Amino acid sequence: MSALEKKSSFGRVFWPVLAWTAGLMFFFPIFWIGFTSFKTDADAVKPEFLFAFTPTLENYVNMTANYDYWRFARNSVITSVFATAFTLFVGVPAAYAMAFNPGRHTKDILVWMLSTKMLPAAAVLYPMTFLTKNFLGIFDTHFLVIIVLSLINLPIVIWMLFTYFKEIPKEIIEAGKMDGVSVWGEIKDIVLPLAWGGLASTALLCFISCWNEAYWTVRLTTTEAATLSKLIEGNRAPEGLFFGRLSAVSTAAVGPIVVLGWFCQKQLVRGLTFGAVK
Amino acid sequence: MTNRTLPRLLQAPAVILLLVWMLVPLGMTLFFSFIRYVLNNLRKPEWTTPSIDNWRGWGNYEYVLYKAKDFWMAVENSLFIVGGVITLTVVLGLAIAVLVNRSFPGRGIVRVLMISPFFVMPAVNAVLWINMILDPVLGLNGLAVEGLNNSINSLKDFPVLGHFFSLWPTLEPISFRGTETSAIAVITMVTWQWTPFAVLIFMTSLQSEDQQQKEAAILDGANAWSQFRNLTLPHLARPIAIVVMIQAIFHLSLYAEIEIVSRGNGNKNLPYLIGEFASNNIGAASATGILAVVLANIVAIFLLRIVGKNLMD
Repeated sequence: MSALEKKSSFGRVFWPVLAWTAGLMFFFPIFWIGFTSFKTDADAVKPEFLFAFTPTLENYVNMTANYDYWRFARNSVITSVFATAFTLFVGVPAAYAMAFNPGRHTKDILVWMLSTKMLPAAAVLYPMTFLTKNFLGIFDTHFLVIIVLSLINLPIVIWMLFTYFKEIPKEIIEAGKMDGVSVWGEIKDIVLPLAWGGLASTALLCFISCWNEAYWTVRLTTTEAATLSKLIEGNRAPEGLFFGRLSAVSTAAVGPIVVLGWFCQKQLVRGLTFGAVK
Repeated sequence: MTNRTLPRLLQAPAVILLLVWMLVPLGMTLFFSFIRYVLNNLRKPEWTTPSIDNWRGWGNYEYVLYKAKDFWMAVENSLFIVGGVITLTVVLGLAIAVLVNRSFPGRGIVRVLMISPFFVMPAVNAVLWINMILDPVLGLNGLAVEGLNNSINSLKDFPVLGHFFSLWPTLEPISFRGTETSAIAVITMVTWQWTPFAVLIFMTSLQSEDQQQKEAAILDGANAWSQFRNLTLPHLARPIAIVVMIQAIFHLSLYAEIEIVSRGNGNKNLPYLIGEFASNNIGAASATGILAVVLANIVAIFLLRIVGKNLMD
């Protein structure tokens, strides 16, 4: 037994219990909306029914009638999927070029790209509304939401892909070049298969980020392209009468994403810190 | 085709898209911040169209900085919220990361539970906390205080000790939608969401800590605290700096939480103030926007320097 693993018997019980307590406390609010979603609206606000109540699925059954849930969910799926696809479509070639053929300015370009992410969205809200409403006429369309979501995620996606591509040994690419493989062939047959895991977690993170986006999706849509963020924000003050149904719609909005998040938590750090913590 | 043309071509779409995305709206904001531009004005209808003829120079900035009463309150509030969240997430994050970094039964499950809040959409986070947890009547806050009062009341019937408990005042649950408290509510919900982020990053970094050095320290008789203080904390210096700066940039532009908690009542931050100005006075909104960009850039420069430094290795 190494010195590190030597623990008192008190520590052997105490620290795990403390760790479990912390984990459960952080998870509790998520558990609580899931739990409340099986109560009727009346039961949800009565303390005597805190744990003793008859579970019901009515909140889920009535989600369409109460909130028109599926229309918003459809918009969220469409915009997030297409935005992720478009971001990768633009991001993969760029990250490929930067990782394998870096020029003198590659580093500056990467840092500059990241800096666009640091622009406070509120600063350019009015010009965006003005341009898209009065000038381009694309306000409240899927197209606009997809483009905006792509642009805000593009820097992160390029950074993540760049760090994954950098890990591929240059020799493999060189060997491919010797054999006369085209650039497209290089990307398709060498880079993508080798960086497949990285690509998948990049896509996943981009999708999650699109799904959860709550500034542009709320402010650049009204009804046609409104996403789940807009739906929830619209029910900010339910006066306590609708906790049951509000919980159901919230659970449906975050549940799938939280589960997706579990799958990419290991790769998440790279994307969140722009490769600075490994 | 030369050696450089193809890489440039491959990067071009990304660079051009981001360039347009950055320059066009920001250029417009910059322009609007120097002209008189309002959406409704019966007295001066010419101000309702953006034009160089309505040039106002630094007037909008002067108005925002010296005359508009909410600007400094919003700056103060932005900093209070950002500072509060960063302090709490770093302290909690360090403690939990060290805790979960040991091996114990069910560690994988605790990790998964721990990281979950980070994936909850901000709108749901805010609605959930302010209504179901922090609401003074219907939320768990109200229920907990009521339960506490009831148990104190029942203690009052005890023969001797009851006298002591009857001096106890009836507790009132705090409303978190009020002017004084809504910032606390925002800090609470954002801390809940972002502590997992800090934990995740610190944990990743802890895994690369030099174990031999630690064993040597233990053999030399260093206690747990001095190990943490002298080995772990210096090892985590850079991750901490990164967590602080990334959060500063993200939380300076918080919006959904502020809107949902109190609609900015007593608790505006800069993005919220910009939104309010933008309902009529575009000139002032744009000037505030440019000031917010300057504030964010002060942090961003430091972050980009750290991140850029170890980019190519």
